[in-house]
Amino acid sequence: MKTTWQSRLTSSLFVLPYLLCFCTFLLFPILYGVYISLHNFELLSVDHEFVGFEHYIKIFTPGTYLNSLFFHGLWATAQFVIYSVPLLIVLGLALALLVHHLPGKLRGLFRTFFFLPYAVSASVMAVIWLMMFDSNAGFINSVLMKLNIQGIPWLTDHPWSWIALVMTTLWWTIGFNMVIFANALNEVPEDYYEAASIDGAGAWRKFASITLPSIRPVMLFVMITSTIASFNIYAQPFLLTRGGPGDTTKVLLINILDQAFVRKELGSASAMAILMALLIMIISIFQFRLTKSRKE
Amino acid sequence: MRKSSRIGLILLAVVTAAIFLLPLVWMISTSFKNDFEALAGNMNFIPKKPTIENYVQGLQGELMNVPITRWILNSLSVGIIGTTLVLLLNSMASYALARLQDLPLRRTLFSMFIASLMIPGVLTFLPMYMEFNTFNLINTYYALFLPYTAGAFGVFLLYQFFISFPREIEEAARIDGADKWQIYSRILLPSAVSIMVTLGIFTFMGIYNDFVWPLYATTSPEMRTITAGIAMMAQGSYVQAYGKLMAMTTIATLPVLIVFILGQRSFVKAITQSAVK
Repeated sequence: MKTTWQSRLTSSLFVLPYLLCFCTFLLFPILYGVYISLHNFELLSVDHEFVGFEHYIKIFTPGTYLNSLFFHGLWATAQFVIYSVPLLIVLGLALALLVHHLPGKLRGLFRTFFFLPYAVSASVMAVIWLMMFDSNAGFINSVLMKLNIQGIPWLTDHPWSWIALVMTTLWWTIGFNMVIFANALNEVPEDYYEAASIDGAGAWRKFASITLPSIRPVMLFVMITSTIASFNIYAQPFLLTRGGPGDTTKVLLINILDQAFVRKELGSASAMAILMALLIMIISIFQFRLTKSRKE
Repeated sequence: MRKSSRIGLILLAVVTAAIFLLPLVWMISTSFKNDFEALAGNMNFIPKKPTIENYVQGLQGELMNVPITRWILNSLSVGIIGTTLVLLLNSMASYALARLQDLPLRRTLFSMFIASLMIPGVLTFLPMYMEFNTFNLINTYYALFLPYTAGAFGVFLLYQFFISFPREIEEAARIDGADKWQIYSRILLPSAVSIMVTLGIFTFMGIYNDFVWPLYATTSPEMRTITAGIAMMAQGSYVQAYGKLMAMTTIATLPVLIVFILGQRSFVKAITQSAVK
């Protein structure tokens, strides 16, 4: 087929509107972010002094304010990732197995039940759990007191604050992982299990040598998305524990946004944001490689 | 499976489901209690003195002096505008990427869009804020829907669909004299209705429920979206007025819950499609 420049032009016009949005709200902000991070960029002032890599150097210089802001935040975020990701994967898979083994008519219903919390927004989720965790009037402590157990200061005491944040996150997002796992379980050919039954394999054996290997690609996807999502944790500590007790749940994103909007230092905040983004990308690539190489 | 273990399994499912649903049921139950009963620390799901006062006040805009109906209208408006834009721009772009061989830089553009799916939101958040700030667009509706138009998820999803569309139908239309726009709007779009609905639900829920961006991109009370508004309340002094707060969250959740339950099938499809690739 011959292509004229008119034809190429009309083809381009189809992509152009999206490309414009893509450049304006994705590509340009990335470059602009690098520019901001190399300047003393105060939110309210007009002059921005060029400082080169100073913000980055300070972040990596022990004893500076930026250093403690970044690494304390990172440590809090890392703790949340470590506590939440394994549970999000294991319990997500367990829920999927539970749904998968229910009689056909009940499957859809229970899948909806477990997935329902995913539909509420971050702030609705937080407000519900503020009430559930309330140390006096909260539902959970009311149950505990009925059982003659002393109420727990869920949101203001270590380590309960972490437990509360992980519980909330599990309730809110595990349905997402469950749905992905449940779909993957449906795709495993039934004959594999039948063949294994004839060979006398038990339930655990079937799970370990048929189910797990068959859902490996999906496992990788869930692992990466869960890690990224947990890395981006913000709403739960921001609204539930407000970073406390002390600064223990002040995660990296809280520190970055505080630096930008409370202390109005956009330059250093951008430098921290870029480092955080790089870290997330490195971890996803690493996880991707890890699971790929194990397959070969 | 043996009958006893099947019953055990169903029992386990029922108990787990009860735990998952409890906070939502409690939210609705509390929304019908007066503030005194809501703070009493009892565990009754049926209010002793049921009241709809929390809802009446909320919908009349009197609840805690915040314009809750305005917030919901804001969220619905930017959700619908944003979703419409995403559907239009993404379907046009992915049609060109999948079907128009003479599109310049076709492969480069496609790889660039797909690669962008890897980029964490934190990378663009602050510069995007500054960008909108420079043009005085913070605290406007533009700030609440434009950023979502850059996402490439829809391009990726629709590309998968358009690439597998039978070539014969398109050829036949071209022989009949249809131009590219006609092929796109009269043949490909009508055949993509179901995948467009999927993308629409996914996008709408994403915008309606987005939290961090609207929190910082709006500054005055009447411009808040419902998510940002409720977050502000949760931080304010109203935090223990649980009856009123729960009426607000129930109203806030209703639109998205309806969309979610009606469109659950498509929603699940969108998620799993992205998982398989």
